[in-house]
This record gives sequence, structure tokens and C-alpha cells, in this order.
Amino acid sequence: MSDQIARLSNELARDPSSLVFLALAEQLRQNLELEVARKVALRGLDRHPHLAAAHELLARIHADLGELDRAFEEWEMARQLGPARSGPRKGMGFVRFRQGRLDEAQRLLEDAVALDPSDESAARALAAVRNQRHQNGGGNGTGNGAGSAQGVEAGNGAGVTQPAPVLSVAESARQLFAPILGDGERTALLVDGTGLVVAGAYLTEDGHDVAAEIGAELSGVPEEAQRAVQHLGLGAWSCVVFETEVATVAMAPVHTRHLLLVAAQRSEPLGYLRRMLERCVDRADRWLAEDR
Amino acid sequence: MTNPATLPYDAVLLPLSRQRGVMGALVAGEADGLIIASQMQYGVEGDAISALAASLYRKARLSAAAAGLGSVQLLRLEAEGGHICAIGRDDLVVVVLADTRANIGLLRSTMMRVIPLLP
Repeated sequence: MSDQIARLSNELARDPSSLVFLALAEQLRQNLELEVARKVALRGLDRHPHLAAAHELLARIHADLGELDRAFEEWEMARQLGPARSGPRKGMGFVRFRQGRLDEAQRLLEDAVALDPSDESAARALAAVRNQRHQNGGGNGTGNGAGSAQGVEAGNGAGVTQPAPVLSVAESARQLFAPILGDGERTALLVDGTGLVVAGAYLTEDGHDVAAEIGAELSGVPEEAQRAVQHLGLGAWSCVVFETEVATVAMAPVHTRHLLLVAAQRSEPLGYLRRMLERCVDRADRWLAEDR
Repeated sequence: MTNPATLPYDAVLLPLSRQRGVMGALVAGEADGLIIASQMQYGVEGDAISALAASLYRKARLSAAAAGLGSVQLLRLEAEGGHICAIGRDDLVVVVLADTRANIGLLRSTMMRVIPLLP
């Protein structure tokens, strides 16, 4: 347990009606202790049922757990409680994007950006949705056409959303590291031994995903790293970090045949980037193991 | 162990080689990996470090540029037995080999500080 979680837990124990449960659950969520985070959030909501921020937090936890319908419901509740908040619309847009309901995703994200034009992550998400719709244009119809068609395609029976399977798998891979990376200008990619992207995304400012190009270009670095440590008898390499003019990039091997790459703005502390790298490696490790 | 060729580069190499855990520091050509000046502990293979680190740095620089990430300034390779750090300017690269006792934060800031002093 991190010091911060211990401190927040103690604070909450001293005053159970305190709003510190928000910070504690968020910290637990970021540490991927999602079930514990959910319990803390639900307990907090018992005491503060009309707190929009608490519903938003619970929505994020549901989303991390892959419970998209529940996440949507909580964001919807947060939207009703705090109509001026942009976060709920952004979250609902995220769910619809994951479900392949791009028309709805775009509308919700447009609303989020209109409410808070300074929210760069909402603007980037909107650009990504528009780009995805553009790429789908003339394709199989997903995300193309009138909103009424979306409900039919995405399933409207018994309240169970049934996303288009191919998009769902691809999106779940793309979003694999999102809970760890948070809202900042950070990205993570999992690349296989041939330089092909397995999971993660790398979005440019205009919303284009350039993960494939980045993955292919950087996948040669580990070979050089391996050669260097082998010749110099330094044992196995655990990470390579390089600082460029615009970003800091850290990479680490996963399962010997894969490479994980995390990039963040230069202003991010190096130690924090390193910590994110470790957590993303852990996540990728478990994800690859599940995939077997 | 100091050699006469290091004299113009002392301002760059000495602050690095005197740090805890540092086994050697050198200046090499990025393209060919050949040593220009070095301050290595006895028994440490400067030529191999120079060639491999310069090659790694070059690969990272070219890859990052191709990926649109801008030019690489500082690179660090972490392994079970130690670290290789490299920082470049023009066609030169300053390389440090350190063991696991090294204070990487201090080493990094020293490398950033000395790189403008390259002749």
C-alpha cells in the first residue's frame, strides 16, 4: 500500500463523512485496485448520494472494469446532478466510442468541448472520433449515417449493449493503458517482435493514430540495447529512456518478445514516467497472459 | 586512468568520472563510435562501450526523428548490472558507464550541465 493511500485511509477512518473518499478511491483506481476503489466509492456515495463528482468517479471505476453500461449510467447521473460539468459528457462519449456508436460519441464530446473549451483531452477525443468516422466512411456503416440507425446496430434489447465485435476488441486493445495514463499528454504502446502494434494508441494533436509508424520506427532500439548489454556483460536490460525535444520516451521488454513504450511530455517528472512504465508493463503482462 | 588526449575534454569528463558508481566516461564520434577522449577505470573496455553506446544512441536518435519525436538529447539504458547514459551534441556523443550504485538523477543533471562544454 502506498504512503498516500495509507494516509487517505487513515483520514477517512477518522472522519467517515469526509469527502476524502474521492481522493482515496481515485488513488486506488490509479493503482489498479479497482474492486477496493469501487467499495470505497460506493460507501462514499451512501453518505453523499447527490455528489456529482462521486458518481463520475464510480463511472471511471466501472469503465476500467469494462462495465460500460454501468459506467454510462453513473456518468448520466453525474450529468443530471451537475449539468454544467463537462466530465460526464466526456465519459459518456468515451463509452459510446468504445461501443462503436460514433454518432452519439461525437455529439456527447461536442457537448463536453462546448461546456469546457479548455479541456484538451475532450478535444483530442473528439478529433479521434471524427477521424474514426472519417476512416469508416463508406465502410460497413458503423458510425455512419443517422443516429436512429445506431441504436439498432448497437443492440437495444433488454438494456444490454452489444457492441460490434471487431471494433470492441480493437478498441479494448487501444484503451488498454488508458486507466494508467490518465488525462495528461501521455501514451503507451505494446509492440510485438516485428514492430507491429498489439495494443495502445498514439494520437497526434489532430486525432490521427500514428501508433503503427511510431511502433515500427522505435522497435529497432531494443536490438541495439540487447547487443550492448550482452557485449558489456550487464545482464538483462530493463528499460531504455530517451529524452527528445518534445517528449520523454521509455521502453521496456514484455515477455521477451514484446516491447512496451510509454511517452509523455518533457515536463513530466522522469520518475513518474518510470512508474507509469512499470505499471503499463504489468498491465500488458497480464493482458498477454489472458490472451493465451 | 587518464590519457593526454583527454586534456581538452577534462571539463566534460572529470565531473562525470568522479561520481559514485561511474566506471568510465568518454567522448566518441556518433557515426563511427571511435573514442576521442576517455576517463576509464582500469580494466573497463572503453572501445566496446564507445562503439555500442554510440550505435545505440544513433539508432535512438534516428528512430525518434523518424517517429516525429524530435531529436534525442539524453539516452539511458538500464540493465541488471548497471547503466549506460549517452548525451549528444553535433556529431559527438558523451557516454557514461555506471554500476547500480550510481545516482542517476545526479548523473543526468551533470551530463546536461557539461554537454555545452564540449570543445
